[in-house]
Amino acid sequence: MEEYNSFKQEDNILTHTRILDAPRDLVWEVWTTPEHIKEWWGPNGFSLTTQSMTVKTGELWDFIMHGMGRDWDNKIEYVEVKRPSLLTYKHTGAENEDYNFTVSVLFEEVDGKTLLTMQSVFKSKAIIEELNIKVNAIEGGKQTLNRLENYLKLIKAENNELK
Amino acid sequence: MNPNRDVFQAIADPTRRAIIHLVSQKPQNVNSLADNFNMTRQAVSLHVKILTECGLINIKQQGRERVCEPQLDKLIEVSGWVDQYRKFWDSKLDSLESYLVKIQKKKK
Repeated sequence: MEEYNSFKQEDNILTHTRILDAPRDLVWEVWTTPEHIKEWWGPNGFSLTTQSMTVKTGELWDFIMHGMGRDWDNKIEYVEVKRPSLLTYKHTGAENEDYNFTVSVLFEEVDGKTLLTMQSVFKSKAIIEELNIKVNAIEGGKQTLNRLENYLKLIKAENNELK
Repeated sequence: MNPNRDVFQAIADPTRRAIIHLVSQKPQNVNSLADNFNMTRQAVSLHVKILTECGLINIKQQGRERVCEPQLDKLIEVSGWVDQYRKFWDSKLDSLESYLVKIQKKKK
């Protein structure tokens, strides 16, 4: 199953796939509710405060990431919301508009697990390189997915204890 | 992207099945495919990418355009899988047929 996990860069596009041992509805939920998303969003060592979150087309998730010794204002605009299979959002509100990028996330059911395919489209390849130097963007993205995977494992373990 | 995403997983998604249908009717680029879906171009393009990597669509450069063409040989894996069960049911139905013949002969 681990072979489903992959990362690829093609020009200005980054694609991640990840198989998650959780039902699709739960994976959708941890992406779209403030209580869950603060547990895993962001690179290792980051924490997060949600100002507001409305998961609807054209609406925003307004949040602050805390890490690397400072606060980072973030705004995500939801471009398409098709529960529970497709989420597309645009990272906006960065200091430099060139840093904005759009992410599509597919949630698919595979043998009772969830296959996540994430495609991030940046303005250019040069911007990805710039973000890599500044904030270690590619590695940060991988760490975020690792945290998501670990958080889902934790939920599963807690649910098993309750049984 | 990943060797393990097989043809069955590729066609499990309704949007991807619709894309296969559209390109087999008429090879076309992603923009014109996207017109058929209530979905962003980026999401349609991601589905096309998955189909390309599973070998069900081929992208052909025509001048400045990238045209998606069907490449459906891989679907043989699907029909092969279905075929096992067709054979199973054929033989079951053959047995049923001969059984019916047999019990009717007895009655006479």
